[in-house]
Amino acid sequence: MDFYLGLIQIIGVHTLIGLSAYCVLLTGQVSLAQAGFFAIGAYVAGMLTVLWSWPLIPALAMAALAGGVVACAVGFPALRVKGLMLVVATLAFGEAVRLFFFNFTYQMARGEIRIGPHGGEGFKQIRYFPENGWTTFDVVIFIWVVVVLVMAALWWMDRSRTGAVLRAVGEDELAAQSIGINITAVKVSAMTIGGVIAGLGGGIFAHYTTHIEHVQFGVVLATFAIAYPILGGLSNVFGTLIAVIFIQGFLIEGLRFMGDWRNLLFGGLILLAMNVRPRGLLDAGTTLALKRLIDRARSGVARMKERTSA
Amino acid sequence: MGKRRVPDVDLLDLIDAVQSVADGMLFGTTYALLGIGFTLVFGVMHKINLSYAAASIGAAYASLLILAGVKAPAPVVFLMAAVAGGVIGAVVYLVAFKFIPLANPLATLMSTVGLLLLIDEIIVHATAGVPLNYPALFSDVLIRMGPFSLRGDLMFVFLLGCLCMAGLLYLLYRTRLGLATRAVSQQPVAAQLCGIGITNVNVQTFVITGVVGGIAGAMTGAAIGMLSPLLSLPLTVKGLIVTVIGGLGSIPGAIVAGLLVGGLENAFQFLRGVSERDLYIMLLLFAFLVFRPGGIFATAPGRE
Amino acid sequence: MLSRYAALAASVAAIATFALATPASAQERTVKITGFGAKSGVVRVFGINSEAALKAAAEEINKAGGVTLGDGSKAKFVIEFLDDRCNAEEGISVVRRIASSDAFVAVGPTCSNVAESLFGILQKKVGDASDTGLQFPIIADVAAKGGLAKISEWAFRNVPSEFEMYKSLFAWLKTQHPTLKTIYGGVEKDFAHSNATYNVMKDQAGLNGFQVLGTAEWLLNDTTFSTQVRDMKRAGADIVAISAHPFTTCGVLKEMERQGVKPKLLIGLTSSSSIETLQGCAKQAEGIIIPTSFAPVTSEAKKAADDVAKFGGSADLHSAAAYEIMFILKDVIEQQKIMGKADTVAADRVKMREGLAALKETKGLLGKVGRTADREAIKPFLYVHAKDGSWQVLFKPAS
Repeated sequence: MDFYLGLIQIIGVHTLIGLSAYCVLLTGQVSLAQAGFFAIGAYVAGMLTVLWSWPLIPALAMAALAGGVVACAVGFPALRVKGLMLVVATLAFGEAVRLFFFNFTYQMARGEIRIGPHGGEGFKQIRYFPENGWTTFDVVIFIWVVVVLVMAALWWMDRSRTGAVLRAVGEDELAAQSIGINITAVKVSAMTIGGVIAGLGGGIFAHYTTHIEHVQFGVVLATFAIAYPILGGLSNVFGTLIAVIFIQGFLIEGLRFMGDWRNLLFGGLILLAMNVRPRGLLDAGTTLALKRLIDRARSGVARMKERTSA
Repeated sequence: MGKRRVPDVDLLDLIDAVQSVADGMLFGTTYALLGIGFTLVFGVMHKINLSYAAASIGAAYASLLILAGVKAPAPVVFLMAAVAGGVIGAVVYLVAFKFIPLANPLATLMSTVGLLLLIDEIIVHATAGVPLNYPALFSDVLIRMGPFSLRGDLMFVFLLGCLCMAGLLYLLYRTRLGLATRAVSQQPVAAQLCGIGITNVNVQTFVITGVVGGIAGAMTGAAIGMLSPLLSLPLTVKGLIVTVIGGLGSIPGAIVAGLLVGGLENAFQFLRGVSERDLYIMLLLFAFLVFRPGGIFATAPGRE
Repeated sequence: MLSRYAALAASVAAIATFALATPASAQERTVKITGFGAKSGVVRVFGINSEAALKAAAEEINKAGGVTLGDGSKAKFVIEFLDDRCNAEEGISVVRRIASSDAFVAVGPTCSNVAESLFGILQKKVGDASDTGLQFPIIADVAAKGGLAKISEWAFRNVPSEFEMYKSLFAWLKTQHPTLKTIYGGVEKDFAHSNATYNVMKDQAGLNGFQVLGTAEWLLNDTTFSTQVRDMKRAGADIVAISAHPFTTCGVLKEMERQGVKPKLLIGLTSSSSIETLQGCAKQAEGIIIPTSFAPVTSEAKKAADDVAKFGGSADLHSAAAYEIMFILKDVIEQQKIMGKADTVAADRVKMREGLAALKETKGLLGKVGRTADREAIKPFLYVHAKDGSWQVLFKPAS
């Protein structure tokens, strides 16, 4: 049971980083910097709870804020470029953040041991959860409350004018500009929201792994971050969730029985998935079909109720 | 012994600094070679192929595995890497590009990521992750110029890079295939209307970039003396950096950018030590992209 | 007529013997021990070796009758090995998976960063009801960074102490080479193990009267070392000590050859005393001295090395630790009378932890291995050097 709970925790946090990339992808930009904002969130939240004994929720709020502020600051210069240039610019920024933490040491004495981030060795003993009596189940509930809130916020945003504006910029910048949308403001806002979500996810990540180091926040994590929304489909937030479940649940844990073959299948299945469903696992077509199914089911239930009540 | 304070600089330090930068630039020829392939893929064909560096290293590995029992001379191994690179290039096109509609660039981005992971795992499974020795040409040649010395094998790589550049420029601008490639990448529909077979042209261009990649992989292996699966991710990042600094699609730009990145790496390392070296490279890159997105030799802006 | 009855009688007899035989084979119990570690990426070879060593040791134990459980029955060991890809999240997930089964112990991990996170989610102090950490004993075979077992009372290690090994080595070198005075270091800065070990090397060199002239630094992925080696050349030290894994160690050694840097002594990192280094740069690594806790010098060690090779791995200081762990587990299971049944899981885990914590010494392939209060091991060691393409024993210090 503990294993499934742990897996659900991982899926939750990875959904957060996936959603942070999703926001930016909606505006048509590929950002490899989400791992950097994730890292900032992780270190900020970790330092607050370990060094200054802050309670968890304010620490996470600060982590999200830090992620958002840095994302906004990076967004202005970075979003002046497009396409591959933006990919490389965000990659460079993400790597710069990782390298910053590689060099970052801030330790305090706590009794005879020193605690805090220690450069290349990382930041260990972030034990807020076990020390405060949180069981695995408690952590799962906490993570998923956050994830559901974020997903609900993004879903609502998608249904509103903001979502339409974001997608308009994503579809055709020239057209969007000609109807008076301020593209830079839109792209930077998307980047900032992405930074907030990534910072939040990073803060939680630091607490459930208890030890963070620069290596974890590199190109691989940045690639996973964009893989989730692209693999899942950009039509709605559930695509990202499904992709995270597919990768973390199926490819990583589910295929374990295949032993050595698992790793080969990992790349191979992603390749296959993109060939077979280039618009993502949950693309617009599938979403529409699902909606029709749900509507038909609903009307079927309504008709049945009529007949039985009549 | 990584950081130097300026007041302490003396002649020896100066010589060392120049030598460092020269060494870096020479090693940068391997980046330049990789950058040429990258810039062709990204800039001319407008395809984001993130598996390119992994495929190039994979071709170098393939050359070792094909010639496993045979004690072949270095040039034969390099040739085999080039051939393997071409074959892998064709496979990459078929598996990651052919069946994905052009309107989905994100899908090809992700499919090449999947391919990168797959190639890496194949290498790890075939070699248990252990580094393999790679043969080199002129590895014991050291050209001395006063207090400075230059590695002979890297000068050979530089010459090879220039040859590749000349060959590719000729190919792109003086042959029918080059014309067809540029046509297909700029206006695929119009190109088809003119009777250019898209699949054929694409396969041929991927094969050619694959051959360049195979040579780049072989030269990188020769310059380091070893191949390791550790190489694919850093080389992908460096390749992207070099492509972007040199200007998308500019082959001479890739060479200059490769040398520049190599030299700067060593310069930063000499000044600030290895922990901060890459940090400055990344910041520099970020600044460069923001202020001069076209690259050093910016080509004429087309429709993105 | 007679033949039909005979045939019937014969078949009944056969069925009877078969029926009587089955309960005996049903008594054949198995105890599954799960190891975990890195079987992906550049560290894949560690996972392969650990798995082979666990299986080889299990086969040895099973051939000798197996392990005796708390109820007196004998059981055979069955080994399973899970891949954590040297990733902290996955390592935690793997251990949770193992802890959700009937297992009462796990052997691993390979990577020190995974161990840091993993030991961090364990309950820190036994019996602390306010600590909701996982209560599951883990014994590490490879993760070698200093001081990891201190993180939790459920964490144990069977890895050699780099501190003891290099302390002894530098003291010995001082007696063997009294004319050598200076030393220059080289370190892989972004890898926790090499970084930590380098600090030990530097300290011990200084304490034994060697003057540290400087340190060359590089990163795990680096491919060019000309600047660092040039600094090394300028310093002109008698000894060069490199704390890095085979890929960069070979890179630096090749650059040293290129620039004509020939120190009188070369010292390396424990993990680099493996085939990888020799495959990569046997010529340049000629003469490098490395302290190690395994070499096929005793009859048990030689046999173990052969057995591990049979299972597709190679015996080195890391996999030898895994081999030894199987015997440690057998001893603890028998001492603590672990039942190994589905309803005794929680009690078995506590017993295993108690048993491991109570150990004062264990059987090692090179001799007796001491155990500390911090749940670490004090392993006998010797120095090997690379000679003619293989690792040969240079000196075996008296324990």
